Amino acid sequence: MDASETEVAVVDRATESAAQKKARFERDALQYTNQLYAAAIRYTKNPNDAQDLVQDTYAKAFVAFHQFEPGTNLKAWLYRILTTTFINTYRKDQRRPQISDGELEDWQIYDAASHTSDQGRSAEDVALDGIADLDVKAALAAMPEDFRMAVYLADVEGFSYKEIAEIVGVPSGTVMSRLHRGRKLLRASLADYAKDRGFNRGSHE
Amino acid sequence: MNKTESNPCDQVLQTLVLYIDQELPSEQDYQFFLHHFQECLTCKELMVYERDALQFMKNLLRNSCNEQAPQDLHERIRQEIAILAGQPQVEFFSQTTITEFTFDGTTSIQVTQEFTQEIRHDFTEGQ
Repeated sequence: MDASETEVAVVDRATESAAQKKARFERDALQYTNQLYAAAIRYTKNPNDAQDLVQDTYAKAFVAFHQFEPGTNLKAWLYRILTTTFINTYRKDQRRPQISDGELEDWQIYDAASHTSDQGRSAEDVALDGIADLDVKAALAAMPEDFRMAVYLADVEGFSYKEIAEIVGVPSGTVMSRLHRGRKLLRASLADYAKDRGFNRGSHE
Repeated sequence: MNKTESNPCDQVLQTLVLYIDQELPSEQDYQFFLHHFQECLTCKELMVYERDALQFMKNLLRNSCNEQAPQDLHERIRQEIAILAGQPQVEFFSQTTITEFTFDGTTSIQVTQEFTQEIRHDFTEGQ
């Protein structure tokens, strides 16, 4: 391996050979396989479909790699291919629940009143300390797809609103709305799981 | 953002999530928030509470959603890329043939179209 030899920031895509392109793709893109796989499980809710989705994503990404502008965000570019591939292929035969994104004001109307009386962490959050991984995954899987994607891309992957807007193909305002509502939904749902498991130890300051 | 709101607490609380997500549109907006937090302990405490609660949920999600791709998948991807790199990428090919026949002064035109669908590499070549 001569990985250090190929560590160059500037790539001339016009003169790059097929072998160089392949090496650059393997070096730069394949490091995200695990992350894309975890995201694909969130999308498809099924390990087999997730594997196929990631493989398809990489095949498409490789074929289109000459279109990728070196130095820009490769991870976001791969996530966009993953997301559009999922939407166009794997979601086709699934009936999709209609979700209203609500008005833009929705995320702006901040629900401060529910917290102002509390000091410190609420009973809800204390209960979440004991929640199991499986419950977190199940709560996420049960969420409407658009909310699930927004929460996952923002809160697990750390993408900005603008990046998510580009990945999912919706305006930034829609991302904000979905993210804000998705987080509220997830928080409430996790609290329910915690209660069912008997982790709710009640409120204390 | 609604800058016509006269009460600074309302302004801050309406867009607190943008402050926490570091998605405020300008540096001036951050200055406005920071200045307000110096003056208003209630808003500052609420911000800290919300920020910590969000971080707590992010940690839960990140610790749960960290599946590793099976080794088989890594290999499948490398194999597919090797195959794609080794072949000319004929993705979609169409050919149209137009043939003219003339009988007794009348003209008939026959159009033939051939399509080659995207080539799928579902096989594994011997390396």
